[in-house]
Amino acid sequence: MKQILVFLLFSGMFCWLMFSPVYKHVLVLRQALLQQEADYLLEVGASGRYGYIDETLIAESMARLEESGFEPDKLEYAVGSTSGAEAGNASMPLARGEGIKLIIRYPYDGLMNIDRLIGIEPEDDAFLSASGMKMSEYVP
Amino acid sequence: MHKLVFVVLMLTLWWLLQAVQLDEELALSVVHEGKRAVDRAAHAAAQQLDDEKLELGVLAIDSEEAAAAARLYLRENLRLEPDLTPRADGYLRDAVEVRVLDIVDETMPFPYVYRNEEYDYEVTFRRPGVVLIVNIVYPRVFAALPPIEWELKGAAELVY
Repeated sequence: MKQILVFLLFSGMFCWLMFSPVYKHVLVLRQALLQQEADYLLEVGASGRYGYIDETLIAESMARLEESGFEPDKLEYAVGSTSGAEAGNASMPLARGEGIKLIIRYPYDGLMNIDRLIGIEPEDDAFLSASGMKMSEYVP
Repeated sequence: MHKLVFVVLMLTLWWLLQAVQLDEELALSVVHEGKRAVDRAAHAAAQQLDDEKLELGVLAIDSEEAAAAARLYLRENLRLEPDLTPRADGYLRDAVEVRVLDIVDETMPFPYVYRNEEYDYEVTFRRPGVVLIVNIVYPRVFAALPPIEWELKGAAELVY
Protein backbone atom coordinates (compact mmCIF):
# COMPACT_ATOMS: atom_id res chain seq x y z
CA MET A 1 0.00 0.00 0.00
CA LYS A 2 2.73 2.39 1.06
CA GLN A 3 4.70 1.57 -2.05
CA ILE A 4 1.77 2.31 -4.31
CA LEU A 5 1.30 5.61 -2.53
CA VAL A 6 4.96 6.52 -3.01
CA PHE A 7 4.73 5.53 -6.66
CA LEU A 8 1.69 7.72 -7.18
CA LEU A 9 3.40 10.65 -5.49
CA PHE A 10 6.41 10.30 -7.70
CA SER A 11 4.65 9.23 -10.89
CA GLY A 12 4.82 12.62 -12.60
CA MET A 13 8.49 12.86 -11.90
CA PHE A 14 9.04 9.25 -13.00
CA CYS A 15 7.38 9.93 -16.31
CA TRP A 16 9.39 13.09 -16.78
CA LEU A 17 12.64 11.35 -15.94
CA MET A 18 11.91 8.50 -18.29
CA PHE A 19 10.59 10.39 -21.27
CA SER A 20 11.98 13.93 -21.20
CA PRO A 21 15.49 12.83 -22.30
CA VAL A 22 13.93 11.43 -25.48
CA TYR A 23 12.15 14.70 -26.17
CA LYS A 24 15.29 16.71 -25.44
CA HIS A 25 17.22 14.43 -27.74
CA VAL A 26 14.74 15.05 -30.54
CA LEU A 27 15.18 18.79 -29.98
CA VAL A 28 18.96 18.55 -30.16
CA LEU A 29 18.70 16.47 -33.31
CA ARG A 30 16.25 18.83 -34.96
CA GLN A 31 18.49 21.76 -34.16
CA ALA A 32 21.44 19.90 -35.65
CA LEU A 33 19.46 19.02 -38.79
CA LEU A 34 18.32 22.62 -39.21
CA GLN A 35 21.89 23.83 -38.83
CA GLN A 36 23.11 21.26 -41.32
CA GLU A 37 20.47 22.35 -43.81
CA ALA A 38 21.30 26.04 -43.26
CA ASP A 39 24.97 25.30 -43.91
CA TYR A 40 24.21 23.31 -47.02
CA LEU A 41 21.88 25.94 -48.41
CA LEU A 42 24.47 28.65 -47.76
CA GLU A 43 27.19 26.54 -49.33
CA VAL A 44 25.09 26.11 -52.47
CA GLY A 45 23.63 29.62 -52.52
CA ALA A 46 26.94 31.38 -51.98
CA SER A 47 28.77 29.25 -54.52
CA GLY A 48 30.03 30.60 -57.82
CA ARG A 49 27.06 29.19 -59.71
CA TYR A 50 24.28 30.85 -57.76
CA GLY A 51 25.04 33.88 -55.60
CA TYR A 52 21.45 33.92 -54.33
CA ILE A 53 18.97 31.79 -52.35
CA ASP A 54 15.65 31.97 -54.17
CA GLU A 55 12.28 30.23 -53.88
CA THR A 56 13.38 27.20 -55.90
CA LEU A 57 16.36 26.54 -53.63
CA ILE A 58 14.18 27.06 -50.57
CA ALA A 59 11.55 24.65 -51.90
CA GLU A 60 14.23 22.01 -52.47
CA SER A 61 15.53 22.61 -48.97
CA MET A 62 12.01 22.19 -47.55
CA ALA A 63 11.70 18.89 -49.39
CA ARG A 64 14.96 17.70 -47.87
CA LEU A 65 13.88 18.72 -44.39
CA GLU A 66 10.51 17.04 -44.91
CA GLU A 67 12.35 13.75 -45.36
CA SER A 68 13.79 14.20 -41.87
CA GLY A 69 10.33 14.69 -40.39
CA PHE A 70 9.90 18.46 -40.46
CA GLU A 71 6.59 19.92 -41.51
CA PRO A 72 7.30 22.24 -44.46
CA ASP A 73 4.46 24.63 -43.63
CA LYS A 74 5.99 25.49 -40.29
CA LEU A 75 9.46 26.18 -41.63
CA GLU A 76 10.36 29.86 -41.95
CA TYR A 77 13.20 31.05 -44.11
CA ALA A 78 14.72 34.53 -44.00
CA VAL A 79 17.36 35.51 -46.54
CA GLY A 80 19.32 38.74 -46.44
CA SER A 81 22.62 40.28 -47.40
CA THR A 82 25.27 42.47 -45.79
CA SER A 83 24.57 45.41 -48.10
CA GLY A 84 20.81 45.17 -47.69
CA ALA A 85 20.37 44.15 -51.32
CA GLU A 86 17.87 41.44 -52.15
CA ALA A 87 19.51 38.02 -51.86
CA GLY A 88 16.60 35.94 -53.14
CA ASN A 89 16.50 37.18 -56.72
CA ALA A 90 17.81 34.71 -59.28
CA SER A 91 18.11 37.36 -61.97
CA MET A 92 20.26 39.58 -59.77
CA PRO A 93 22.81 37.40 -57.98
CA LEU A 94 24.98 39.00 -55.32
CA ALA A 95 28.51 39.55 -56.58
CA ARG A 96 31.55 38.16 -54.87
CA GLY A 97 32.44 39.91 -51.64
CA GLU A 98 28.93 40.36 -50.38
CA GLY A 99 27.66 38.18 -47.57
CA ILE A 100 24.47 36.13 -47.83
CA LYS A 101 22.62 35.71 -44.54
CA LEU A 102 20.20 32.90 -43.90
CA ILE A 103 17.98 32.06 -40.94
CA ILE A 104 15.78 28.97 -40.79
CA ARG A 105 13.27 28.80 -37.98
CA TYR A 106 11.00 26.03 -36.79
CA PRO A 107 8.64 26.02 -33.80
CA TYR A 108 9.37 23.79 -30.81
CA ASP A 109 6.19 21.96 -31.78
CA GLY A 110 5.09 21.04 -28.26
CA LEU A 111 8.30 19.18 -27.47
CA MET A 112 8.65 21.19 -24.27
CA ASN A 113 5.16 20.29 -23.05
CA ILE A 114 6.57 17.38 -21.08
CA ASP A 115 8.23 19.86 -18.74
CA ARG A 116 4.78 20.67 -17.35
CA LEU A 117 5.08 17.43 -15.35
CA ILE A 118 7.69 19.05 -13.13
CA GLY A 119 5.97 22.43 -13.15
CA ILE A 120 7.84 24.32 -15.89
CA GLU A 121 5.58 26.21 -18.30
CA PRO A 122 6.95 26.11 -21.84
CA GLU A 123 7.11 29.31 -23.88
CA ASP A 124 4.50 29.39 -26.61
CA ASP A 125 6.28 31.31 -29.33
CA ALA A 126 9.76 29.87 -28.97
CA PHE A 127 11.58 28.78 -32.11
CA LEU A 128 14.45 26.55 -33.00
CA SER A 129 16.65 28.54 -35.28
CA ALA A 130 19.71 27.94 -37.39
CA SER A 131 21.55 30.76 -39.08
CA GLY A 132 24.71 31.69 -40.88
CA MET A 133 26.36 34.14 -43.18
CA LYS A 134 28.67 33.26 -46.03
CA MET A 135 30.45 35.35 -48.61
CA SER A 136 29.04 35.03 -52.09
CA GLU A 137 31.44 33.61 -54.65
CA TYR A 138 29.46 34.60 -57.70
CA VAL A 139 31.55 36.37 -60.33
CA PRO A 140 29.53 37.91 -63.17
CA MET B 1 12.39 3.35 3.72
CA HIS B 2 15.64 2.07 2.26
CA LYS B 3 13.83 1.46 -1.02
CA LEU B 4 12.77 5.08 -1.12
CA VAL B 5 16.32 6.23 -0.51
CA PHE B 6 17.50 3.88 -3.25
CA VAL B 7 14.94 5.27 -5.68
CA VAL B 8 15.95 8.85 -4.96
CA LEU B 9 19.62 7.98 -5.39
CA MET B 10 18.95 6.24 -8.68
CA LEU B 11 16.91 9.18 -9.88
CA THR B 12 19.77 11.54 -9.10
CA LEU B 13 22.26 9.32 -10.90
CA TRP B 14 19.99 8.91 -13.93
CA TRP B 15 19.40 12.62 -14.10
CA LEU B 16 23.12 13.36 -13.83
CA LEU B 17 23.94 10.97 -16.67
CA GLN B 18 21.23 12.50 -18.85
CA ALA B 19 22.52 16.00 -18.09
CA VAL B 20 26.07 15.05 -19.06
CA GLN B 21 24.84 13.35 -22.23
CA LEU B 22 22.68 16.28 -23.32
CA ASP B 23 25.41 18.80 -22.57
CA GLU B 24 28.00 16.86 -24.54
CA GLU B 25 25.66 16.57 -27.51
CA LEU B 26 25.07 20.32 -27.45
CA ALA B 27 28.78 21.01 -27.02
CA LEU B 28 29.51 19.09 -30.20
CA SER B 29 27.07 21.12 -32.22
CA VAL B 30 28.45 24.36 -30.76
CA VAL B 31 32.03 23.42 -31.61
CA HIS B 32 31.01 22.57 -35.17
CA GLU B 33 29.16 25.83 -35.55
CA GLY B 34 32.12 27.73 -34.11
CA LYS B 35 34.48 26.07 -36.55
CA ARG B 36 32.22 26.94 -39.48
CA ALA B 37 32.07 30.55 -38.29
CA VAL B 38 35.87 30.68 -38.04
CA ASP B 39 36.27 29.17 -41.51
CA ARG B 40 33.80 31.59 -43.06
CA ALA B 41 35.43 34.54 -41.28
CA ALA B 42 38.91 33.48 -42.41
CA HIS B 43 37.70 33.00 -45.97
CA ALA B 44 35.99 36.40 -46.04
CA ALA B 45 39.06 38.05 -44.54
CA ALA B 46 41.36 36.46 -47.11
CA GLN B 47 39.34 37.90 -50.01
CA GLN B 48 39.82 41.56 -49.05
CA LEU B 49 42.03 42.81 -51.87
CA ASP B 50 44.21 45.87 -51.38
CA ASP B 51 43.02 48.15 -54.20
CA GLU B 52 46.12 50.35 -54.28
CA LYS B 53 48.43 47.38 -54.72
CA LEU B 54 46.04 45.84 -57.21
CA GLU B 55 46.50 48.90 -59.42
CA LEU B 56 50.20 48.07 -59.53
CA GLY B 57 49.36 44.52 -60.48
CA VAL B 58 50.10 43.04 -57.05
CA LEU B 59 47.49 40.79 -55.45
CA ALA B 60 47.66 41.56 -51.75
CA ILE B 61 45.36 41.45 -48.75
CA ASP B 62 44.29 44.70 -47.11
CA SER B 63 44.98 43.98 -43.44
CA GLU B 64 42.49 46.48 -42.02
CA GLU B 65 39.65 45.33 -44.22
CA ALA B 66 40.58 41.73 -43.54
CA ALA B 67 40.33 42.25 -39.77
CA ALA B 68 37.00 44.04 -40.19
CA ALA B 69 35.61 41.28 -42.43
CA ALA B 70 36.76 38.57 -40.02
CA ARG B 71 35.00 40.27 -37.14
CA LEU B 72 31.84 40.88 -39.18
CA TYR B 73 31.56 37.23 -40.24
CA LEU B 74 32.32 35.99 -36.73
CA ARG B 75 29.65 38.31 -35.36
CA GLU B 76 27.00 37.31 -37.84
CA ASN B 77 27.65 33.60 -37.62
CA LEU B 78 27.94 33.39 -33.84
CA ARG B 79 25.32 36.09 -33.16
CA LEU B 80 27.56 38.58 -31.38
CA GLU B 81 27.53 42.30 -30.64
CA PRO B 82 30.16 44.52 -32.33
CA ASP B 83 32.50 44.06 -29.35
CA LEU B 84 32.15 40.26 -29.72
CA THR B 85 30.04 39.80 -26.59
CA PRO B 86 27.02 37.55 -27.14
CA ARG B 87 23.76 38.99 -28.41
CA ALA B 88 20.60 38.36 -26.42
CA ASP B 89 19.30 35.84 -29.00
CA GLY B 90 22.60 33.98 -29.26
CA TYR B 91 23.50 30.78 -27.50
CA LEU B 92 26.95 31.76 -26.21
CA ARG B 93 27.31 33.36 -22.79
CA ASP B 94 30.93 34.48 -22.75
CA ALA B 95 32.63 36.91 -25.09
CA VAL B 96 34.45 35.44 -28.06
CA GLU B 97 38.11 36.35 -28.20
CA VAL B 98 40.15 36.64 -31.36
CA ARG B 99 43.50 35.25 -30.24
CA VAL B 100 45.37 35.32 -33.52
CA LEU B 101 44.65 37.12 -36.77
CA ASP B 102 47.77 36.77 -38.85
CA ILE B 103 47.97 37.84 -42.43
CA VAL B 104 50.46 36.09 -44.64
CA ASP B 105 51.20 38.81 -47.16
CA GLU B 106 52.46 38.64 -50.72
CA THR B 107 56.12 39.26 -49.77
CA MET B 108 56.49 35.77 -48.25
CA PRO B 109 58.20 33.03 -50.25
CA PHE B 110 55.44 30.69 -51.46
CA PRO B 111 54.75 27.89 -50.67
CA TYR B 112 55.04 29.35 -47.20
CA VAL B 113 54.69 27.21 -44.09
CA TYR B 114 53.01 29.14 -41.32
CA ARG B 115 53.78 27.86 -37.83
CA ASN B 116 52.32 28.94 -34.54
CA GLU B 117 54.03 27.18 -31.64
CA GLU B 118 51.76 28.69 -28.99
CA TYR B 119 48.61 27.18 -30.46
CA ASP B 120 50.31 24.22 -32.10
CA TYR B 121 49.13 25.15 -35.56
CA GLU B 122 50.78 24.65 -38.89
CA VAL B 123 49.46 25.35 -42.36
CA THR B 124 51.02 25.71 -45.81
CA PHE B 125 50.04 28.65 -47.97
CA ARG B 126 50.46 28.73 -51.74
CA ARG B 127 49.06 32.24 -51.94
CA PRO B 128 48.57 35.15 -49.56
CA GLY B 129 46.16 34.17 -46.82
CA VAL B 130 44.81 34.64 -43.34
CA VAL B 131 45.15 32.59 -40.15
CA LEU B 132 42.44 33.05 -37.57
CA ILE B 133 42.42 31.52 -34.08
CA VAL B 134 39.45 32.23 -31.87
CA ASN B 135 38.69 31.29 -28.30
CA ILE B 136 35.13 30.17 -27.57
CA VAL B 137 33.80 29.19 -24.16
CA TYR B 138 30.98 26.64 -24.23
CA PRO B 139 27.89 27.76 -22.28
CA ARG B 140 27.23 24.70 -20.16
CA VAL B 141 23.59 23.95 -19.49
CA PHE B 142 24.41 21.95 -16.36
CA ALA B 143 27.43 22.19 -14.10
CA ALA B 144 27.85 18.41 -14.32
CA LEU B 145 30.63 18.84 -16.86
CA PRO B 146 33.97 20.57 -16.29
CA PRO B 147 34.28 23.92 -18.12
CA ILE B 148 34.84 23.53 -21.85
CA GLU B 149 36.60 26.01 -24.07
CA TRP B 150 38.13 25.71 -27.48
CA GLU B 151 40.77 27.44 -29.53
CA LEU B 152 39.21 27.12 -32.96
CA LYS B 153 41.64 27.54 -35.81
CA GLY B 154 41.02 28.36 -39.42
CA ALA B 155 43.04 29.43 -42.43
CA ALA B 156 42.10 30.62 -45.89
CA GLU B 157 43.88 31.74 -49.01
CA LEU B 158 43.18 34.49 -51.46
CA VAL B 159 41.18 32.97 -54.30
CA TYR B 160 41.59 34.32 -57.81
